[in-house]
Amino acid sequence: MTELTRRHFGLLAGASLSSLAMPSLVLAQGKPKVVVIGGGPGGGTAARYIAKESNGAIDVTLIEPQKTFTTCFFSNLYVGGFRDYKSLTHNYEKVKKSGVKVVHAAATAIDRDKKQVVIAGGQRIPYDRLLVAPGIDIKFDSVPGYSEAAAEIMPHAWKPGAQTQLLVKKLNALKDGDQIVMVAPPNPYRCPPGPYERVSMFAHVLKKKGFKKSRIVVLDPKPTFSKQGVFAEGWENHYPGMIEWQDPKMHGGVKEVDAKAGTVKTDLADYKAALVNVIPAQWAGKIARDAALVNNTGYCPIDAASMKSTVDPNIFVVGDASIAGEMPKSAFSANSQAKVAAMIIRSELTQSRAFPARYSNTCWSLIAPDDDIKVGASYEPKDGAIKATTTFVSQKNEAAELRKQNYKESVDWYNGITADIFG
Amino acid sequence: MRRWALARLRTISGMTIATAAIHAMAGSSTAADVELGRYLSSECTTCHGAAKADTTIPPIYGLDQRHFTEVLRAYRAKTLPNEAMRSVAARLQDEDIAALAAYFAAARPR
Ligand SMILES: Cc1cc2nc3c(=O)[nH]c(=O)nc-3n(C[C@H](O)[C@H](O)[C@H](O)COP(=O)(O)OP(=O)(O)OC[C@H]3O[C@@H](n4cnc5c(N)ncnc54)[C@H](O)[C@@H]3O)c2cc1C
Repeated sequence: MTELTRRHFGLLAGASLSSLAMPSLVLAQGKPKVVVIGGGPGGGTAARYIAKESNGAIDVTLIEPQKTFTTCFFSNLYVGGFRDYKSLTHNYEKVKKSGVKVVHAAATAIDRDKKQVVIAGGQRIPYDRLLVAPGIDIKFDSVPGYSEAAAEIMPHAWKPGAQTQLLVKKLNALKDGDQIVMVAPPNPYRCPPGPYERVSMFAHVLKKKGFKKSRIVVLDPKPTFSKQGVFAEGWENHYPGMIEWQDPKMHGGVKEVDAKAGTVKTDLADYKAALVNVIPAQWAGKIARDAALVNNTGYCPIDAASMKSTVDPNIFVVGDASIAGEMPKSAFSANSQAKVAAMIIRSELTQSRAFPARYSNTCWSLIAPDDDIKVGASYEPKDGAIKATTTFVSQKNEAAELRKQNYKESVDWYNGITADIFG
Repeated sequence: MRRWALARLRTISGMTIATAAIHAMAGSSTAADVELGRYLSSECTTCHGAAKADTTIPPIYGLDQRHFTEVLRAYRAKTLPNEAMRSVAARLQDEDIAALAAYFAAARPR
């Protein structure tokens, strides 16, 4: 189309838009439009699946400010020295090749009445269906004394990128006798076994350096945690006496962190540590909160059969930002939810067949070289929520060969899922 | 290469499966719902999408339908090890397995 005809077309479309309020007629004017906010496991998967499975019948735009995406998943393996940073970074070239228009800008607002997304710079992108997958934001003030500035000294490293690199830099600079303190997060948070896999990787690095005097203290606001039994067994086997995990009854609560002084105060004791990893509480990414897609939990309620927002029928929310019943906040879950949402969105816009929603998840965690444990489940909508239909978890005293097999499997999974998300 | 992947699955199991009986069942079914298979396959691609001949997670595109059916049924019956695969297979009906087998036999990676 020439510039002139395109403008002409735009004017005509605009005129009919204002005179016809029926969404189906708006759809009839051209290809249906899907906009996706966030190019992580949730948004990347959804954008690619909608574009590819609709064979170009749907116009898909992905809005993501970053040119490359570094995964949080497997970032603990980078901490432990099993992966290099580059191997965690992916670009959007193949996403574009799948037929997705990628706009590298942040979405600044969702105009739900007009069905438009506003991006940085003010441009508006119209949608027939919007999929929101911005992940989580850190609630800095959930830990007294902690702030975005304090995170430059006491990293959370719960969002990928510079924070993870800072954590690794601090870990590698430790000397024997230096202490590590982790302030673990309250539920619900992204990657339930993540903090404990990270503790394992800290311990692995200290052990590898031959340190005898350094200790790791975990101050947990939860009385129990994911895969606790097998983690505890693994810590005892590989790192005896190195890790001290405290439940809230033992420490009585974290009263204050002081980044400059390098201290953490609890009811029980004060700690001074060369490396403090503070993982605060979390909630849905700002764009979802600003658009009032969240409830009082700070996350987005969804319909279990479709991942459709319960507050707006034109919007779907997947991944960490959603309230997905019994599913953990993981890349695996986000990828699985995105496929259900993509299938439903296509059926709504192009009358393709809809199938009953099926979800799944597996989370692998590395405790030590070749000692990898896993937890997983299949899920389906039941009584209005996503519920597990079958579950499994690694057991104590498993054969070393099985744990080694788990590790290899996790590496294959990483390659599989990143290809599924990014092409 | 296809056969190799399945042969390896069998070696992992270290058991023999009543192949003849399964083949008979798999072969007698009515036309498989390939579109259903395509939807269900999205659960598989998360892990198997980038699989190569030498990976722990085996490639499944282009697999012979009967072997595919046999292996999934064995996971469902818990006669093959691997908890993740047993969990995946647990909810698959015979029609689902037939649909997946038909889809993967002809499909290429997305
Ligand atoms: C240490 C650690 C280890 C982990 N290990 C595992 C693991 O082994 N397995 C596993 O499955 N999961 C793991 N996870 C969890 C996993 O990383 C997350 O669950 C997953 O990234 C969630 O995907 P998402 O798409 O919902 O959000 P994200 O991955 O956070 O992606 C959101 C994207 O949205 C973009 N965005 C945000 N706001 C806007 C906006 N306003 N406009 C445009 N774009 C926006 C962001 O830039 C980002 O790219 C781990 C997490 C951590 C922290």
